[in-house]
Amino acid sequence: MTVLQEPVQAAVWHALNHYAYRDAVFLAERLYAEVHSEEALFLLATCYYRSGKAYKAYRLLKGHSCTTPQCKYLLAKCCVELSKLAEGEQILTGGVLNKQKSQEDIVTEFGDSACFTLSLLGQIYCKTDRLAKGSECYQKSLSMNPFLWSPFESLCQIGDRPDPEQIFRLTSLQCFSGGSGAPSLLPISPAHTPSHNMPHRQVDTVLMETPQDTLELNRLNLESSNSKYSSLNTDSAMSYIDSSVISPDTVGTLGTGGTLLSKQVHNKPKSGRSLLGGPAALSPLTPSFGILPLEPSPGEPLYLQNYSHSGSGMEPPPPGVPPKKSVARISQVGTKSVFAQSGNSREVIPIPFNQTQTTAPPQTSTTPQVLSPTIAAPPNVQPRRSSRLFTSASSTAKENSKKLKMKFPTKIPNRKTKSKTGKGGITPSNLNESIEILKLDSSMTEGKVNMGTPQFQAFSLQKAAADGLMSLMRDIGRGYLALSSYNCKEAISILSQLPSHHYNTGWVLGQIGRAHFELAEYMQAERIFSEVRRIESYRVEGMEIYSTTLWHLQKDVALSALSKDLTDMDKNSPEAWCVAGNCFSLQREHDIAIKFFQRAIQVNPGFAYAYTLLGHEFVLTEELEKALACFRNAIRVNTRHYNAWYGLGMIYYKQEKFNLAEIHFKKALSINPQSSVLLCHIGVVQHALKKSDHALETLNRAINIDPKNPLCKFHRASILFANEKYKAALQELEELKQIVPKESLVYFLIGKVYKKLGQTHLALMNFSWAMDLDPKGANNQIKEAIDKRYLPDDEEPVTEDYPYDSAAEVEESQESSMTDADDTQLHTAESDEVL
Amino acid sequence: MATPSKTPPGSDPKQLERTGTVREIGSQAVWSLSSCKPGFGVDQLRDDNLETYWQSDGSQPHLVNIQFRRKTTVKMLCMYADYKSDESYTPSKISVRVGNNFHNLQEIRLEMVEPSGWIHIPLLDTVNNPIRTFMIQIAVLANHQNGRDTHMRQIKVYTPVEESSIGKFPRCTTVDFMMYRTIR
Repeated sequence: MTVLQEPVQAAVWHALNHYAYRDAVFLAERLYAEVHSEEALFLLATCYYRSGKAYKAYRLLKGHSCTTPQCKYLLAKCCVELSKLAEGEQILTGGVLNKQKSQEDIVTEFGDSACFTLSLLGQIYCKTDRLAKGSECYQKSLSMNPFLWSPFESLCQIGDRPDPEQIFRLTSLQCFSGGSGAPSLLPISPAHTPSHNMPHRQVDTVLMETPQDTLELNRLNLESSNSKYSSLNTDSAMSYIDSSVISPDTVGTLGTGGTLLSKQVHNKPKSGRSLLGGPAALSPLTPSFGILPLEPSPGEPLYLQNYSHSGSGMEPPPPGVPPKKSVARISQVGTKSVFAQSGNSREVIPIPFNQTQTTAPPQTSTTPQVLSPTIAAPPNVQPRRSSRLFTSASSTAKENSKKLKMKFPTKIPNRKTKSKTGKGGITPSNLNESIEILKLDSSMTEGKVNMGTPQFQAFSLQKAAADGLMSLMRDIGRGYLALSSYNCKEAISILSQLPSHHYNTGWVLGQIGRAHFELAEYMQAERIFSEVRRIESYRVEGMEIYSTTLWHLQKDVALSALSKDLTDMDKNSPEAWCVAGNCFSLQREHDIAIKFFQRAIQVNPGFAYAYTLLGHEFVLTEELEKALACFRNAIRVNTRHYNAWYGLGMIYYKQEKFNLAEIHFKKALSINPQSSVLLCHIGVVQHALKKSDHALETLNRAINIDPKNPLCKFHRASILFANEKYKAALQELEELKQIVPKESLVYFLIGKVYKKLGQTHLALMNFSWAMDLDPKGANNQIKEAIDKRYLPDDEEPVTEDYPYDSAAEVEESQESSMTDADDTQLHTAESDEVL
Repeated sequence: MATPSKTPPGSDPKQLERTGTVREIGSQAVWSLSSCKPGFGVDQLRDDNLETYWQSDGSQPHLVNIQFRRKTTVKMLCMYADYKSDESYTPSKISVRVGNNFHNLQEIRLEMVEPSGWIHIPLLDTVNNPIRTFMIQIAVLANHQNGRDTHMRQIKVYTPVEESSIGKFPRCTTVDFMMYRTIR
């Protein structure tokens, strides 16, 4: 039966790897109709899921029994996507009500994919408000596979403080046992723990392979997820990728690496699960990932190459030598590499492989001259070599490897080991070494003992690459952790220390932009976000923060351009609709803004910020009940969303429930302790509660944290004024005048202070300045202040003019008070003349 | 007797809205009419379209009742009337009444002569503050050329926006201040 399935399965994987989902689905459906095995079921479900129809996969899997872990995992994933959390949980753990499996059970059941399963389970727990259990699952998932970023991110977001130093570390067990995930990196399969110490053993087992085994190995290799091949491809004259690869000239390789990377990056998301196995074997040459001693070539592009390799999941051949070997092989294998990249081709592969072997020489001619002779030499041997090299131990190819494991239990570990060692960086390493290894290989196939040194070297190169990645992830993890706890200054400094090629990426810059935003440094945030837009115009994550930054800065043109661009690009992202809503809110079209925010919520009900923004709009339209509901929803989605707590506090303040307001503001402050705006609000509320001393203390704290915040000084001045400390208030206001010379409120308050002090001229002067600076204000308060100022005073001739003016102002409220102020001056002048 | 001068058109209330000093709150109220021709009712009065209008279908005075859920501060009323297009249907004498219910309304009378656009009616009390009321009633007492029925193209009700972020201060004017005013 399996024999019959294999060509079809290989064809299906081939189609999947080329994103030809309709073909894949059709073939998978025929296969399933022919063979009702669970494997075929899984294949069909995978096709549906990858083509974006999770509901089809869900219904298919639901309708049939799923006992294999991969089916269960896929079904659970579909459930989570379709928001059927209870069902997902039941599948993974046996149910909310029934006896639940412990994490250990899950680990043993799911084996390699346990890290992803646990991550999914963590998601389910967090969404159903069981944060402690969710946190546990995430921790376990990270301990099994430190290459996963999303559990770490989720842990930071729920308020845990995971330690990136501990988490992003390759334990020796992982390095050498392959563990789950990071297939490309881990040199040895789980079954293979001691092997890393014994490269020789691997060699021995390899030597024992029969030609038939080789074929099987080939299949296995090709079945394994991509990357490795791609890495091979970069170096080698991958027929389908770029033939100009191997050359002694590293620059050339760098070029290919670049192109490969772009392709690989493409592959990554599409290959779905198979590619999830971490970035793994990254180039040993980049500074971030450790420069391997083998290769003196510059890091970056090669890193890219290797990155692509790891991304694709194909095991790269051992650095140095293997690339060359693979070059030879790949060039021969031409079509095979294609399969390899997709990672799961089966039967089909060996056949073309054999065929291409014969055509090897012409293809290999594209490879560097050094290799061609060696390649041409033993064509028959090469398939075996490649199969060895290309064996993948990736967990994604579990289904394949499992099957193969059944057939060749002893061989698989070897293969895995070998392939893993092969991974390393694909560097256009020493040609001599490659030739040497090629010769070694041939000797191996001939039954000679292999030295095993190349594999060992390769292995250490791989390890160095992985360590490099881990160190990068530690840095990024520390930065992200700081940002999640709102230690924004620290986050900025940590993230700014990243190497420039990582710094200038959308994600990192987006985080830095957000950090500036949280610090209320909107100008810097705007600069950084516009840089993000320039580098990655397809990035929507973080754009809602950018839009709020523009809202604060009142840059309506930029905001409407951003809104148009994003809504054109991706109508299914909540961020785009939040931007649109902010744009209209800035234009004071609150009803339209409300509509857009509601749309954002429809698109993604788990996006807390959309609820918060909607709440703010309702506050602006004075629909406080609805606003309360929105903020509460935001808190339901994300308890640590301090903006929503702030929003609730604001509503209670408007309703003059100052106690409640203070409580909510303090809750927001507990989440974000460095926000001077929050402290300022707390200060004002405390003053409203008659706790003026506390208020002043709080405001002092706010000013200490952020001396640039003018409102803190303003409110401090107003509290001093209310407490009749006029001199202090005046001093404060004078300072404020220097900072914000054009703000009418400052002059207004100064005027009031002078009025209280009895200095009418100064008061009047300041009031008129305030009016001048507020042309469209029609600020009744200022006018009232002036009116009241003069109503009790009867003797001055000036007074005659003021009631006249104020009446005129009242009738034509729309008109600029500028003219009124001018009139005032005129009248005063006239009255002086009269006198 | 000198011909009374024509009522000049006021500015477009949309521009007013953009200054952020006033907000249209007609949507928070329940609107009713004393009478209307089918297809020319409240929807046409409130649809932001100057081409459609309300046409009354009864005896004078024709009434537009605006009832709020809660006591609302109203700063001004804007009406659109155009003598050139409506001729004898154009209202000439309007009485705006405010109060808590139908039985205790106080009046503010207004006369228009050949209006040709937006008419702003400020609703202020004796100390020139915007009034706080539960309902507003607009009564059309007479039309131009003694027409029986009236056309009214659009009515908007405005409330002043209190720029209260925090503290009982008027709105700030500079972006620098406004940036720190609120967390969004």
